[in-house]
Amino acid sequence: MAGVPDTIDLERDRDLKGRERDIWVRRGLMSIVAAIPVIALFNVFGQRAETRTLVGPAASLKISAPARLRGGLLYQARFHITARQDIKDAYLVLGPGWAEGMQMNTIEPSPVSEASNNGRLSFELGHIGAGHSYILFMQFQVNPTNVAFGRKQTVWLNDGKTRLLTFSRNLTVYP
Amino acid sequence: MDIALRGIALFVFVYLLTRVIGRRELSSLQPFDLILLIVLGDLIQQGLTQDDYSVTGAFIAVATIASLQVLTSWTAFKFPRLRRVLDGHPIVLVEDGRVIERNLRRERLTIDDLAEQARENELASLADVQWAIFEPSGAISFIPKK
Repeated sequence: MAGVPDTIDLERDRDLKGRERDIWVRRGLMSIVAAIPVIALFNVFGQRAETRTLVGPAASLKISAPARLRGGLLYQARFHITARQDIKDAYLVLGPGWAEGMQMNTIEPSPVSEASNNGRLSFELGHIGAGHSYILFMQFQVNPTNVAFGRKQTVWLNDGKTRLLTFSRNLTVYP
Repeated sequence: MDIALRGIALFVFVYLLTRVIGRRELSSLQPFDLILLIVLGDLIQQGLTQDDYSVTGAFIAVATIASLQVLTSWTAFKFPRLRRVLDGHPIVLVEDGRVIERNLRRERLTIDDLAEQARENELASLADVQWAIFEPSGAISFIPKK
């Protein structure tokens, strides 16, 4: 029988003495790797839209937009306003968290006017008659360098200077 | 800065992946394995540089990966105890023509895989093999009987 090849330790490399646990470490780490796509299926890493509806005496506001995103993703935010009473001059006001590190590609339909409201983005939507709806579509893209954990995204629906509804949520942007 | 950080994160993840998926996947370049490698490279590139098309960005990415690669091999060279974690140790699969099935199972290798590798090394029968050793690189070394 030929001699044992150089640097081969039969106890270690043939009988695997002292290496019994290695396989379990490997299996454990592999389980963690395999868990990533499973967790992703549950929208933990985004980008599925979440829908929230707020109802007030004057209007209801349904917001549909992902709350978890990743750098570079394109996504849509949909603001569906249903007037329960006549809204003479509707304003949709977005907190700066909606625009921070985001590309705003499209806003449809174009608001009557856009302005800064104390650092917030204020979109004048005009008159919405009682029982009528207004849907504002906004298309965004996340800047690749944008990372956020718990960034506040607030939405206000106003009639002129009168506040009708307030909505707030936290945004997570994974690197 | 972002590219360097992404480079470090992806390097660690891919290094971990190559250590945990097992050597079988590393050693056998079947058509699908080849496709997987190409797809993996493409996916990593997107996460690494994203929308950065600059030469500077490429310099940062390549320099990060190359430095980490050298650092890893230097660490394995300098600290033998870490070599086991970073590179792994060889595993004896055949001794004196006798297949050590427990070690084959551990690496998810079949007798057919082993025989195929032996044939590629111009060994018609495993009985003619004195030693077959599954190297940390994923290659199987065959030492024939004399």
